[in-house]
Amino acid sequence: METRSRRTFLAVCLGGIGAAAACLTTYPLIRYLAPRQGEAARKKVAIPSAEVPEGGAKFFEFDGSTAVLIRKKGGDIVALSAVCTHLGCIVQWQKENEQFLCPCHGGLYTADGAVVSGPPPKPLEKIPFVLNGGSILVG
Amino acid sequence: MKTPHRLRANTGTVAPFLFILTLPFLTLPPLAGAQGESVCVQCHAAQSGRGAIPVKPWRESIHAANGISCSDCHGGDPKDAANAMNPAHGFLGAPQEVQIPSFCGRCHVGIKEDYLQSAHGRALGKGGPTCVTCHGSHEVKKAELELINEKSCSRCHSYDRAARIKAAMQETEGMIVAADRKIHGFRKLGIETDAYEKGLYSTRNRYHRLFHDVDTARIVAESARIRGEVARLNGSLGVIDEALRKRKLAGGAAVGLALLAGIGCYLLKKTYD
Amino acid sequence: MPLFKKLFDWLEVRIGVRELAEKELTSYLLPRTINVWYSMGSILLAIFALQVVTGILLMVYYVPDADKAFKSVTAIMNEVPFGWLIRLCHAVGSNMMVLILLFHMFSVLFMGSYKSPRELNWLSGFILFNLVLGISLTGYLLPWSQLSFWATTVATNSVGAIPYVGGYLTEFLRGGKLVGPPTLGRFFALHVALLPLLIASVVAIHLFLLERIGVSSPPFGQENSANRWEGDRFRYEDHPGGIPFFPNYLLQDMTSIFVYLAFFFAVVFFAPSIFFPFDAFSPANPFQTPAHIKPEWYFLANYQTLKLFPNEFIGLMVQGVAMTFLAVLPFLDRGKERHPLKRPLFMLCAIGGIALYLALMIWGHYS
Repeated sequence: METRSRRTFLAVCLGGIGAAAACLTTYPLIRYLAPRQGEAARKKVAIPSAEVPEGGAKFFEFDGSTAVLIRKKGGDIVALSAVCTHLGCIVQWQKENEQFLCPCHGGLYTADGAVVSGPPPKPLEKIPFVLNGGSILVG
Repeated sequence: MKTPHRLRANTGTVAPFLFILTLPFLTLPPLAGAQGESVCVQCHAAQSGRGAIPVKPWRESIHAANGISCSDCHGGDPKDAANAMNPAHGFLGAPQEVQIPSFCGRCHVGIKEDYLQSAHGRALGKGGPTCVTCHGSHEVKKAELELINEKSCSRCHSYDRAARIKAAMQETEGMIVAADRKIHGFRKLGIETDAYEKGLYSTRNRYHRLFHDVDTARIVAESARIRGEVARLNGSLGVIDEALRKRKLAGGAAVGLALLAGIGCYLLKKTYD
Repeated sequence: MPLFKKLFDWLEVRIGVRELAEKELTSYLLPRTINVWYSMGSILLAIFALQVVTGILLMVYYVPDADKAFKSVTAIMNEVPFGWLIRLCHAVGSNMMVLILLFHMFSVLFMGSYKSPRELNWLSGFILFNLVLGISLTGYLLPWSQLSFWATTVATNSVGAIPYVGGYLTEFLRGGKLVGPPTLGRFFALHVALLPLLIASVVAIHLFLLERIGVSSPPFGQENSANRWEGDRFRYEDHPGGIPFFPNYLLQDMTSIFVYLAFFFAVVFFAPSIFFPFDAFSPANPFQTPAHIKPEWYFLANYQTLKLFPNEFIGLMVQGVAMTFLAVLPFLDRGKERHPLKRPLFMLCAIGGIALYLALMIWGHYS
């Protein structure tokens, strides 16, 4: 009789543990498979056009990092991440030859962000933007 | 008596099959030689005179660790022994003292700029220090605050001002090093630290550049700003820390539950013995 | 439980579950002296099931494309809720599978369970061991990290040491001259389709053999521990008066599995980085060999052996011979005695072999 009741007791305990384990595995599983809420759209930044003169560059905070807007001599506007793809230093705009230079290890990029020379493994990341009247809406 | 004979025949047919089966999975050659050494190192390492001196310090340097080899600074052709030191193939040799900053500055662009504006840079060629005076040449290591020390600085001038600069940098440097270590630990856990690493690298680089200015007031002022930046980074790292703490808590529960279930099964088994 | 009883009866009258349950569970008797080492196989089954489940879950977000693989794995580890848990379980689980497999093999070795008539159990188990190493190796490439890229380069390179066909064989394995996007495609197919299927089938054969031949009795605690098989005709090895599989030994299996799980979770939650070198989290770069790259711990002994021999082919041959010897051990070791302490020569070889394996592993790690 004693064995019997001990068995029932243990079986109930194991059942309880099993139920707890089932809940503990189901929750992460559902979270893992559940459709994710669309990533909160990156905050857009508006820059007045006047702040980006021809041949000039405007550095600003964007998405927790530094970005740059330039207006090439022909008038084309480019928006790029200013973070060097080599080790993460902030590139500098060189007005005379319309290139980006990274001060850390001399990585050189064109105005469009393509690598000219130096250690960077990838071009600077392009950022979408739209012209909106007197301002440039980046993001 | 028949059986052993039959079995022996079996062995003969099975063995070659298994040999082939196990080969591809169970063999790994050493990696040495996966990356060929340049002809520069091959030849210089074998020399006995002055020519061999740079090889060992370079191998232990931060340049070697990051794949920066002889020809990246000295030019020449690292694949062609005959033309390795041919000026027509871009060989530059060793720079004259006054050329050292521009020699190193081909890569370390920003540092060169700051150095040339500083008291150190203005004294270039007039007894002032060049890059290698403090950093060494082939043996160059990751820049650390210890580079500023009484022995080194008092070769040229009194240590007072340098000591003040070092004191001003100490706390900030400590924060940067601690944050760096923390990021490294996170990375080992598979946490995406790329943005943090790059951010911190940029901050540290700006910070180390600052020193080349040898302007105490500016260093003190800028240090405060940089400490703010690192503190902000520490804030983001703290969020990860908190998440990891929660993981450990859940892990403790999982381990505990499994152990309880194991004990339960064991006791239940006992009742049947 | 009237509903449960109804369902049972419904099945009983159709497929005779009572008889089945009796034969396979309650009257399936195991030797009284059976010990905990006999539950290694059950642990391995549980691990394999866990690997299949976590593997399928990983495939939900993993992208087998050289340009996207690393990013997708990073996203699983960082962005997908609990993705880190699934990934860590899968990665740590693969290491555990090899570890427990080694325990399983050692226990079979020491208890002499591989001896006649169980040569085929040993052989199928040995094939499983190779398949598990194969699935570990192919899975290693999929994250497309520096570590996976270079470890695979090294592993496929070794085949090149075979005379004449080596070069072509290497290229065939890689799907090109070098490890690259084509390698990822074929390793992915091997890892998620072919090898799991093969493993499942060989596991089925392994279990069928166990069921058909009967469980061996441990050599311990008996006066006469010699092998009783006569070899004249087929005899199912039964154990009259033994303990039933259900509930007795099943509970032992469950105990072992839960103890294993506790250990497994402890590693997953508290020390997952023991199985992840630093390079595991840098994207593959075909132009830069990382310094100090080492194979996984279970290939370290092989790695060190190859380094010891001046000629790669000799190194390969030595390993091939060692593996072949292990594979055909039951055909070579024909002694009747099964108790390890009454087999001094065997003990000497086995302990020497394990010591050598461990020594090579440690040497490989520190060299």
